Amino acid sequence: MASQASNLSVIGRTARVRGRVTGAVDLEVQGYVEGEISVGGDVTVDAGGMVGASVHGRRLVVRGAVKGDLTADEAILLEDGARVVGDVRAPRVAIAPGALVRGFVDTGANGEAVRPGRAQAAAARPAPATLKAVAAPVPAPQAKAAAKPVVASHLAGAAPSPSKEATPRRPPPPVVPALKKAKGQIAKKKER
Amino acid sequence: MAQARTHTRSDGQGARIGSAARVRGRIHGDGDLLVEGQVEGDLAIRGDLTIAEGGSVTSKAVEAQSVTIGGTLEGDVSATGPVRLVAGAKVRGNLRGSAVAIDEGARFSGQLDCEFDLPPELGGASRNDGRDGRGRPATRR
Amino acid sequence: MASTVIGAGITIEGEVTTDEDVVVAGTLRGKLTAKEGVTIEHGATVEADVAGASLVVAGSLTGNVTAAERVDLQQGSRVIGNVKAARVTIADGAQFKGNVDMDV
Repeated sequence: MASQASNLSVIGRTARVRGRVTGAVDLEVQGYVEGEISVGGDVTVDAGGMVGASVHGRRLVVRGAVKGDLTADEAILLEDGARVVGDVRAPRVAIAPGALVRGFVDTGANGEAVRPGRAQAAAARPAPATLKAVAAPVPAPQAKAAAKPVVASHLAGAAPSPSKEATPRRPPPPVVPALKKAKGQIAKKKER
Repeated sequence: MAQARTHTRSDGQGARIGSAARVRGRIHGDGDLLVEGQVEGDLAIRGDLTIAEGGSVTSKAVEAQSVTIGGTLEGDVSATGPVRLVAGAKVRGNLRGSAVAIDEGARFSGQLDCEFDLPPELGGASRNDGRDGRGRPATRR
Repeated sequence: MASTVIGAGITIEGEVTTDEDVVVAGTLRGKLTAKEGVTIEHGATVEADVAGASLVVAGSLTGNVTAAERVDLQQGSRVIGNVKAARVTIADGAQFKGNVDMDV
């Protein structure tokens, strides 16, 4: 799918990202990501990839190491070689022989319906504080808005999948307004 | 309905609880166990446990070497070998084994507890991963 | 294709470091450090200090830039920040505000 290919972001093998990764995109992690990943498309963690973050996407395929909760709108596949410490929740979950997991697993879960753990985690939120210390200051409204996808997704937990599937297909919003609106926009899309 | 205890035989034959059988009580022994009927009670066998499609086990503790589930299981599983849920399985409980596999089409809700270490970049030691005994985050970073 | 691609539509808030090259087509807020080339594509928004071997900017960059070799600000780029590199080119049509230091 050409449109998906052009929407693919790659964190290269020697790249390290400390922070929050969001967007209506597909993401391939070959390197190291610490913080939070919440995208509208598919997330692949390659065999050498390491993620110290919660990961949310439409479909997740994990072949590497993850320390964080995995949630998906459609499906999560942990392949041989995957090492996951964290909760795993999606409408469809498959764990191949050779994948190792330590955490709560719920197949057939509404991908957003985690809530007690994640709501607490969202409220506790030491992660944005770490971001502020490390990176250029993240404006407070952004940090609050970041919590919105979690909450709004919960509300939209019963929303039909087609509306969620439509989300990644939409063209990215204009750049400047997206600076502030991107997170709210994702929340609004999911609410539809 | 069979009550009280049931021994499996250690002559390699193993035991089979047929689809029409219902067992309430504890099952323990050396051989393999195939459950096609209904079992309510703890299982402690040194061999392999198979719960066939249509079979069901409700238990507080299931111990076996390897565990293959195609039917229904409610309870905690502690296996020295691998645990595998095949399509059609419905399992609620905590699973511990050398490895746990969940096929597409299997339903599962509970804790998985495999022994392994994360790479050092993600924290390394198997029990120092910031999670309490139930696998929930002890503290968030 | 570059080793690390931050595609259009993606937003990274935080710090990115890599031994290889990076192409940013989306949004990055924070800090970017690469050992090889950095390309900020048209349409990208970067609010970060950027360090790389070389830097080509066609999008929007707010932050300080340090490049070992060269920095090229292309037509259509908008850069606010200080630039330090051995060679700097600012194309006609590029918008730039900041200091340029070529005393490397």
